[in-house]
Amino acid sequence: MKKSKVGFLFILPWLTGLVLFTVIPIIAALFISMTDWSIIGDANFIGLENFKAIFEDQMFYKTLLITVRYAIFAIPLTIFTALLVAISLNNQYKGTGVFRTIFYMPSIVSGVAVAIVFKWILDPNYGVLNSLLGILGITGPNWLYDPDWVLPSYLIMAIWGASGGLYIYLAALKDIPKELYESATIDGAGLIHRIRYITLPMLTPILFYNMVIGIISAFRKFTDAYILGGAGEEGIFYMVYLYGQAFSFYKMGYATALAWILFVIIFSLTLIVNYTKKYWVYSE
Amino acid sequence: MKKITGIVFIFIVCAVLSLTGCSNAGSRKNTFTFATWAAGVELQEFNEIINRVNQNADGKYKIEVLSVPSDYYIKLSTNIAAKKAPDFFWLTQELISKYAKMGAIADITDKLESSSNLTREQYYPGVLQSAIYEERCYGLPWIANPLIVFYNQDLFDEAGIPYPSPDGGWTWEEFIDIAKRLTTTKEDAFGNNYKQYGYVVDGWPNIETFIWAGGGDIIAENGVDVLLDSQESISGLAILNKILKAGISPSYSEVSSLGSNNVWFEKQRAAMFMGGIQDNFETKVNAMPENEQFRIGYAPMPVGLDNRSHSFNWTASTVMSKQVADNPLAYEIMETITLEFFKWKIAPPIKGEIDQVAKINPLKAPALDTIQICLNNARSANYVPEWNEINNSLWLKLYSKMLNDPDFDYESEAKAIAREARELIAKRK
Repeated sequence: MKKSKVGFLFILPWLTGLVLFTVIPIIAALFISMTDWSIIGDANFIGLENFKAIFEDQMFYKTLLITVRYAIFAIPLTIFTALLVAISLNNQYKGTGVFRTIFYMPSIVSGVAVAIVFKWILDPNYGVLNSLLGILGITGPNWLYDPDWVLPSYLIMAIWGASGGLYIYLAALKDIPKELYESATIDGAGLIHRIRYITLPMLTPILFYNMVIGIISAFRKFTDAYILGGAGEEGIFYMVYLYGQAFSFYKMGYATALAWILFVIIFSLTLIVNYTKKYWVYSE
Repeated sequence: MKKITGIVFIFIVCAVLSLTGCSNAGSRKNTFTFATWAAGVELQEFNEIINRVNQNADGKYKIEVLSVPSDYYIKLSTNIAAKKAPDFFWLTQELISKYAKMGAIADITDKLESSSNLTREQYYPGVLQSAIYEERCYGLPWIANPLIVFYNQDLFDEAGIPYPSPDGGWTWEEFIDIAKRLTTTKEDAFGNNYKQYGYVVDGWPNIETFIWAGGGDIIAENGVDVLLDSQESISGLAILNKILKAGISPSYSEVSSLGSNNVWFEKQRAAMFMGGIQDNFETKVNAMPENEQFRIGYAPMPVGLDNRSHSFNWTASTVMSKQVADNPLAYEIMETITLEFFKWKIAPPIKGEIDQVAKINPLKAPALDTIQICLNNARSANYVPEWNEINNSLWLKLYSKMLNDPDFDYESEAKAIAREARELIAKRK
C-alpha cells in the first residue's frame, strides 16, 4: 500500500469526525439560518429574512453593545492581570509553586460554580465584597442589581479568572534568553526598563495569541451571564440572547442567523488584529 | 454472484417492509413512552404510579418512563425534531399553545367530549382553560396550584391586627395597609436590629397577579387582542408600584440574600407571603425547633378593582404526541394516568376533590375552605404562542425595572411592550 494511503487511513477517524460533527453542521447551520425553523415544526426557506429582521431588532444592537463594551474592558484587563501575575511568579522563591497553583485554580473551576460563588460575593447586602468595603467605610453598590454596576461586576469576575493564561506567559517568560537581561543590567537598565525593552517585546507573540483568544471568549461570554443575568437587560450578552431565541422562543432559524453574524464579527476582528501584527508583534 | 444478489434482495425487502411499517406503527403499538421532568423522590412516586397503571392494564398496554430531570424542554424539542417524540409528556401551561401551534401535540377535544371517565365539566374552568388553544383542547391538566395568602398568625397577634377572613373579601388597599402595620424594626437575640416586613415581592408573584388586580389583562381571551396598555392594566401596575413604594417588602436586591422569597416568610422576616397552595410551609415549620415555630393562617387573594379575587394558577398537563393520536389505546392511557395523578398532587384540578388535599397532606386540613375558594378563583394568563417573548419583555423591561426603581415610568414601558406584543401577534401565520 502506498505511504500516502496508509497516512490517510490513520487520519480517517479524525476526518470522519470533522466531516460529521463540524463540516456538515456548518453547512446545515448556513441553511437553517435561511429558514423559519422552530426546532419542532417544519423548516420553510425564507432567504435572508432572518438577517433582515436581525438588523431591525433593537435587542440585537443592545446585546451586541453590552458584549462589545465588556470585550473592550475585559480583554486588556485580563491580559494585563495575567501578565502581571506571571511576571511576579516567574522567579523561584519559597512558596512560588503554591501561588502558581492558587492563581491557576480559577481556570479549572466550573463556570457554573464560579457564577454561584460570585452571586454571593456580589450580594449587595450580605456579600463579601460589600462587607469589605463596609470595613473601609464605603457603602458598596448594588452590583448586579444596579444597571450601572452590571458591567463592573462582570469585569471583576473576568479579572478573578484572568490567570487562565498564566502558564502560557510563564512558559514564554522562561524562553526569554537570560543573556538579554544580563546585558541590559550591565548597561544599567533597571527593572522597569528590562520589562519595557526586553520582556514585553519578547512576549508579544503570546500577547497576540491571548488577544485573539480573548476576543473570541469575550464575544462568546455565556455561562456566568446566563446564570447571573443583571439588572433589566444589562446582563443579556449576545450569546445569552442567541440562546434564548433558540431554546426559549423556539426560533432556531433566527438564532442560527445570529450565530453567523457573531462568526463574521469575530472573524473580522481577528483579521484586523492579525493585520496589526506586523506593527507590534516581535518575530525573529 | 446469485447468492449475493439474493442476499441484497432480501435486505431491500426487509428494509422496505420495516420502513413502511414505521408509517403506521404509532397507531398499532401497545408500548408507550411517557416523558417527565420528575427527579428524585418525585420520580420514585411517578414510577410507582406508572407501575400500578401497567399492572392494572394486565398486558393490554405498557408504559415506559423517560425521565428528563434537566433541560427538559430542550431535550423534548430535540426529540420531537428528530421524530422521536415521547408518546406522552408533561407540558407546562405556558407552552401548550406554542406546541399546539407547531403541530407537536394532538388535539384531544373530541376524545375529551366523548369520555365519561373524565369530563370537561369536572375540571375547574380556570384550570382547563390553560390547555385550550383556539377553542381546542390539547392536554389534561393534572395539578392545580393557585395562589393563596399565607400569613404568620403570631406576628398578627403581636401587632394587634385581626386576621384576614379565611373566606376572603379583603381588598388590595386593605392588604397594603395591614402589610404596612406589620413592617417594623425588631431586635434579635444578640441585640442586633433587623427589619420585619409585611410582605415580600421580588418578581414573584408574577406580574399577571397585579395586572388582574386592576381588572386588566395582558392578552385577551381571544388570543389576539393585547390589553396590557388598557387603563385597567395600568391601574394594576399602579398597585404593584404602590406596594414597592410603601416599603412593605424587602428591596429586590435584599430578597435573594436569604436565598429566596419564601425563606423570608419561613424565617418570620415577612409576615405574609403569596404562594401556591402546594407550598409546604406547614411541614417546614413543624420541623423547626419549637422556639422558631409559628402558626400559619390562610386567606384568599385580595379582591381587585374589578371586585374579583384572582388566584394565579400554575398547572401542567399531560399531552399526547401526534404520532400516537390515531392509536385507540392512547387516549385511554392518557386519561388513566391523569386520573392517577389526581390522587398524588396538591391539588387535584377537578371539582369535589378538596378532601383529597388533606389526604395527601394532613397538615393542610385547616386551609381546606380557603383552598377551595382559591381553586374556584384559579386562573392563568391567556397564553398565546408568542407568550415567552412577551413575558420575557414584561420581566426584563417592566417588572425588574419597577423592582429596581420605584420611580420607573411603568406606564410608558407597558405601552411600548403592548406595541411589541401586537407586532409579534400580527406576524402569527
